[in-house]
Amino acid sequence: MVGRAQTHRLEKGGLIDRSAPLGFRFDGKTFAGFQGDTLASALIANGVKLVGRSFKYHRPRGILTAGSEEPNALVELRNGARREPNTKATTAELYDGLEAASQNRWPSLRHDMMAVNQLFAPIFVAGFYYKTFMWPAKFWEAIYEPAIRRAAGLGRASGVADPDHYDKAWAHCDVLIAGSGPAGLAAALAAGRSGARVILCEEDFVVGGRPLADGGTIDGMPAAEWISRTLSELAALPDVRIMTRTTLFGVYDGGTHGAIERVNDHLPSPPEHQVRQRLWRIVAKRSIVAAGAIERPIVFAGNDTPGVMMASAVRSYVERYAATPARRIALFTNNEDGWRTVETALGAGLQIAAVVDARPDVSPAHRALAAKAGFPIMNGSVGGVDGGKHGVRKITVSLTGGARAEVEADGLAVSGGWNPAVGLTSYHRGRPKWQNDIAAFVPDSAPPGMVAAGAANGAFSLGACLRQGFAAGAAAAQDTGRSGKAGTAPAADDEAFSLTPLWHVAGKGKAFVDYQHDVTASDIELAQREGFESVEHLKRYTTLGMATDQGKTSNVAGLAIMAAVSGKSIPETGTTIYRPPYVPVAIGAFAGHHRDENFHATRLTPSHHWASEQGAVFVDTGLWKRAQWYPRPGEKDWLESVTREVKAVRGGVGFCDVSTLGKIDVHGPDAGAFLDRVYINTFSNLAVGKARYGLMLREDGIVYDDGTTSRLAEDHYFLTTTTAKAGLVMQHLEFCRQVLFPELDVQLTSVSDQWAQFSIAGPKTRDLLREIVDPAEDLSNEGFPFMGAREVTLRGGIKGRLFRISFSGEMAFEISVPARYGDALARNLMLAGKPLGVTPYGTEALGVMRIEKGHVAGPELNGTTTAADLGLGKMMSTKKDYIGRVMAGREALVAPDRQVVVGIKPVDKTSRLRSGAHIIPKGRTPGPDTDQGYVTSVCFSPVLDQWIGLGLVERGRERIGEIVHTHDPLRGEDYDVELCSPVFYDPDGGRQRG
Amino acid sequence: MAEFSWVSRSPLEQGLVTGVHGARGIKAGVLLTEIRNFDLIQVMARRGKGVQMASAAEARFGVAAPDVPKAIQTADASLIWSGPDQYFVLSKGSKHTMDTLTRALSQSASLSDQSHARALIGVSGTKARAMLAKLSSIDLHPQALPIGTAAATSIDHTSVNLWRGNDRPDGQAVFNLLVFATFAESLWHTMLDAAAEYGVDIRHSEEFA
Repeated sequence: MVGRAQTHRLEKGGLIDRSAPLGFRFDGKTFAGFQGDTLASALIANGVKLVGRSFKYHRPRGILTAGSEEPNALVELRNGARREPNTKATTAELYDGLEAASQNRWPSLRHDMMAVNQLFAPIFVAGFYYKTFMWPAKFWEAIYEPAIRRAAGLGRASGVADPDHYDKAWAHCDVLIAGSGPAGLAAALAAGRSGARVILCEEDFVVGGRPLADGGTIDGMPAAEWISRTLSELAALPDVRIMTRTTLFGVYDGGTHGAIERVNDHLPSPPEHQVRQRLWRIVAKRSIVAAGAIERPIVFAGNDTPGVMMASAVRSYVERYAATPARRIALFTNNEDGWRTVETALGAGLQIAAVVDARPDVSPAHRALAAKAGFPIMNGSVGGVDGGKHGVRKITVSLTGGARAEVEADGLAVSGGWNPAVGLTSYHRGRPKWQNDIAAFVPDSAPPGMVAAGAANGAFSLGACLRQGFAAGAAAAQDTGRSGKAGTAPAADDEAFSLTPLWHVAGKGKAFVDYQHDVTASDIELAQREGFESVEHLKRYTTLGMATDQGKTSNVAGLAIMAAVSGKSIPETGTTIYRPPYVPVAIGAFAGHHRDENFHATRLTPSHHWASEQGAVFVDTGLWKRAQWYPRPGEKDWLESVTREVKAVRGGVGFCDVSTLGKIDVHGPDAGAFLDRVYINTFSNLAVGKARYGLMLREDGIVYDDGTTSRLAEDHYFLTTTTAKAGLVMQHLEFCRQVLFPELDVQLTSVSDQWAQFSIAGPKTRDLLREIVDPAEDLSNEGFPFMGAREVTLRGGIKGRLFRISFSGEMAFEISVPARYGDALARNLMLAGKPLGVTPYGTEALGVMRIEKGHVAGPELNGTTTAADLGLGKMMSTKKDYIGRVMAGREALVAPDRQVVVGIKPVDKTSRLRSGAHIIPKGRTPGPDTDQGYVTSVCFSPVLDQWIGLGLVERGRERIGEIVHTHDPLRGEDYDVELCSPVFYDPDGGRQRG
Repeated sequence: MAEFSWVSRSPLEQGLVTGVHGARGIKAGVLLTEIRNFDLIQVMARRGKGVQMASAAEARFGVAAPDVPKAIQTADASLIWSGPDQYFVLSKGSKHTMDTLTRALSQSASLSDQSHARALIGVSGTKARAMLAKLSSIDLHPQALPIGTAAATSIDHTSVNLWRGNDRPDGQAVFNLLVFATFAESLWHTMLDAAAEYGVDIRHSEEFA
């Protein structure tokens, strides 16, 4: 890219690399800058003053600051999927080929049709949307809100998935430091020399803080040289880590801090395998906030005109970037620090149009300088700005005594004093305190282990910053047990900071407090008149401080104006609550890698890859991928595949991976006694080598989980849970073991991942198993009766386990092998079963067969049902105590009119039953009064050749044979169904026992 | 009669592709090695039998079993703390299996076979700590996690046992991770994502490092 000449770039100086020119585009125009520029400094170097339009009034706006507090210069950075709205030009590093566009203007920045909003300014006052667009109410969604959103607003999101990756990381240290200015570097020196593990986070891409623009002398050498020597010393320390482009944005419990590192934001796109940004959780024993202070504007008419800029920002652009925001500049200050700007401007060969100082006295040195350089010093304040989208032309000065003066200038530097960055110290509900000499809030308290130092603590002189930072660093290191020698603190002079508070200059025209949200001084006055006097009400009514900059340049001025109009002091008026994050953090950074298919971890069964080779369709079941069915060529839909699988099982033999069931080893002499307490039925009397179905209740008497548990040895049971509750049941049992029944000698181990377990079902099950297990194993009814469970030897010598249990209602076994053999077991079953026509089946066929058999599962064990509701009331032992027994006896839980499990089939055999459909008596109008339950599980039954289901229906078991009505308001399907026994298939159980 | 065999298949059989992954043209900063086919037995003291279990373990292994978060190396096994009054016995070559350990320890402890329930991954290389810092909340600094330190912690919301083994001959630290087998492939990809920018050298081995 070839850019035009940089008209506002100084011949020399600045921390830019003139050997590395960069081309970029802003609103389609081509410009040039240098490595080391921000987008804002490069725009300034090219004489660009107008960079955006304001939120509500579409007023032309320029660049106000040179940091992350910027309210105005927000752009859409990059293109396409990488387009980032509301990016601060003041912190966006320039790179070759950067593309940015201004926001909130149409059709162009210079000719913004929406600027017509300014004509309607009277209706956009504080709280305008509460007042103006209330009636008629239905117009809000359809008309008012879309219209307001079109007219007002910030940048546009890309609307497509972010192509970049983000990650998250943890870091640990003794001393964490926010900010690399003099205080931060001095703190790092002291802590690092003491031997502490130090992390220093700097938001900027260059270390050094204000001295990068304001210079100074430290330990007798220029600040730049001291910074460079300090960095060398810190680099030589083994455990000091300096993280640039990293903003500490929050502090949480236990010394955990949040930080966002912009790893590759300074490049067009991240290099391959690298992330865009990284979210850090930094655990620190001590932290030091050396985040500096933010210069604050003064509120006067036209203070948002492009070319009005913070005085410190003017110095940053001139000194650090060798870019001149104006050629003839005026200064409006109420403090001594603002005067630095005069020296900077004169040094760069700029003209000073005038210095307007609100303080009654100006030092003789300044008067001498003014005389020498030939500019007037005016005692008073700036009352208005003449200019517009092309920038400042003239400023009007209200002189002390009442006279007015006009000053021609193309730029105005403003300093209203400095506000310490009190965010981090206040994030645990700390309220900063007012400090009179600097007329600013300073930290009063801080989260545990945190202190503020330097400007962030209200100490503005270079000497004080170094002293405070060093002392804080040394103390923090000592607190963490590091006792090395910190040496002596770096020293510098303590320059004077005299300030006469000035917040608002009354006058005609809009005077902005919150630039980004277009909140004016009169909005605050209006809010006060309307009773929104509390700062929290003021904030929400006017939206002061609620924009993406969180009011960094506006909050204190807003409070001051509210204090003035309500006749209170500023500390009486108080501050709003400070909340993280300190700067906006992309949601992508919080998500990290957890997006798309990596949203959560996945679990694969031991036969997963085999099933995948078979073409299985997988379903997400919690974290699991489970084979749902195995389609075959020519099958037109899932129902055809599932029906085939069911028929193959019921007519021959099939197998299904059931490894997802939770499996728990229950060990110890008291294992049986323990199980008696957690299940409603008895397990202590279960014979070794046998399995039993068990049901657990919650404390409140509602059913928790079910499964079969086998006794493999006198002191060893093997308990299974449902897939869904596996982790929860393990937690529950550990709680019972450790807290409720510590007297029992019982140990629990999850063995869910140890065993690959398959259900083998169908009349030819034994034929298949005989091919798999050692011929010496007796699989006959006598040798391995129904509900038998024991270890067996498999052909080839490995050991497995067999359980004669059935979920399908067929002759069935479950076989388990150590998990690394699970894949081989699936392949061997296929190989051995080939002559038998063995069919792998998925969870759908499993579900069909359990519904046909009337077994309850997740839809019935739904957290509202009792054992009796499920038809399992007889399992509740009366001879022992168990969890949930007492509460299960509550009146409502044993009421005769409870909804209980019953079978349901449509009267018209062609009707498709739907889960969730409501049951109402025949001939009644659907409604809450007539609702008697609902359909919980449905399937197409290949055996009955029609849709069938289970439901929870009031007094269902007493109503077998009754014709009722299903009502499905979602799908609009209503028809008659018959209540029937839930066991549709082989009710006497002969098949599974056969 | 069908001819079939029992091929042991690691949970990372499919997910792990040996060779170089991620950033190229630099020396791989992370070395990931899966150790396959090990014996892993969970030993848990019976109620009130911690002392007896400790002496039984000492008789069996010649060293005291860990009673704090440590991994202890014996002549032919690692004893890895996994919780109060419990530890893993990790070994190769059927030296310490359910059969042999039951005889030695079952008077005072309950044993559970976990040999197939976990995958074992060794992490080393100059960027091992940087990569693990993306996955684990624990402090991996040499002072905070000296050789032999163990932790029952989590990665990606999933339980893992992590311990620091002996340094490699070149002085690089080695971190061992036991992860649940059914989570292994998913966690493996998470680990590769974390390591890709440093360049990864991927291997598997039948031997401990």
